[in-house]
Amino acid sequence: MKHLLLVVGLGLTLTSLNTFATPSYKVTTKGMVCSFCAQGIEKKMKALSETKDVYVDLKKRLVVVEVKEGLTLSQDVINKIIKDAGYGVQSIEVSEHPIEHIKSGMDK
Amino acid sequence: MFTFNIRLWAIPLIFLSSHLAFAAPMGFEGSVMTMGDFNQNWREVGFNYAITSRDALGLTHLEFRSDDYKDKREIDTLNYTRLLSRWNSTDAQSNLWLFMGLGEVRGSANNQSIDSKVIASPGFQFDYETTRIYFATTHKLYRASNLNHDTTSIRAGFSFYEADYDQTQPWFILETKYTNQISDKIEVIPMLRLINKNIFVEGGVNNSGQPRLNFMYTF
Repeated sequence: MKHLLLVVGLGLTLTSLNTFATPSYKVTTKGMVCSFCAQGIEKKMKALSETKDVYVDLKKRLVVVEVKEGLTLSQDVINKIIKDAGYGVQSIEVSEHPIEHIKSGMDK
Repeated sequence: MFTFNIRLWAIPLIFLSSHLAFAAPMGFEGSVMTMGDFNQNWREVGFNYAITSRDALGLTHLEFRSDDYKDKREIDTLNYTRLLSRWNSTDAQSNLWLFMGLGEVRGSANNQSIDSKVIASPGFQFDYETTRIYFATTHKLYRASNLNHDTTSIRAGFSFYEADYDQTQPWFILETKYTNQISDKIEVIPMLRLINKNIFVEGGVNNSGQPRLNFMYTF
């Protein structure tokens, strides 16, 4: 029984570590009101070597950046890209979930 | 016959690309924005390259003529566009733009050819936009010796619904436009605007029954 609990516990820890190793950054922007506006932000975010994928939700003024496994992204870098593109940052939230999960609306 | 004498550099733009005072007159840093604006008496093609997120350099070829077709102008300008100020809020964006243009004007007055002249075309645009509402006012000067073709336009409209990033968003836009020394009429143009990411298309018919088509493409 002890062995079973140990294996389960180890498994959960690894899963948890793996999830935290690939976070997504949910950036709520200011001024990003059209698809023309979002294009520049999307391109710059995609160009980062750490980026796996980018998702834009115009209705929520949200840009989500999912990073590659084992990597993280500095919030200063995210802030700079959004501001250099001419927009504002309202908040940056780190999510444990990938873009697909956030897209589905389950990431509350 | 109103001939549209296309410069070599303008040829690809015809197929890709407007009035240089669209939603935003330049794209994101490093992008090239191509534009085209065509109706019976006003034809314009151009492009600009965004050196920074606030500065763009470009070329424009513009032809317009009077309602009686006796006066025609062809203008080629090198343009600088500057985003002077932007105000961002959670659900809106507003901008103040500066346009600087310098080039050559040719054409005819009362069917008599006029000498080529240097023309300057500075201007301003203020716009306000949300995902549902759009407003822009643009004043652009076209000044050469004994010529004043200053143009003023006001655009306002609404989108039928909010769209996702990958969807096409339809808008209703009403534009009023006046060009000095070429027409006594104020042009009124209700248009349908469609935006899908880097593609922008507008079409409508003005108060003289003339169709108009605008394109914009950013890459």
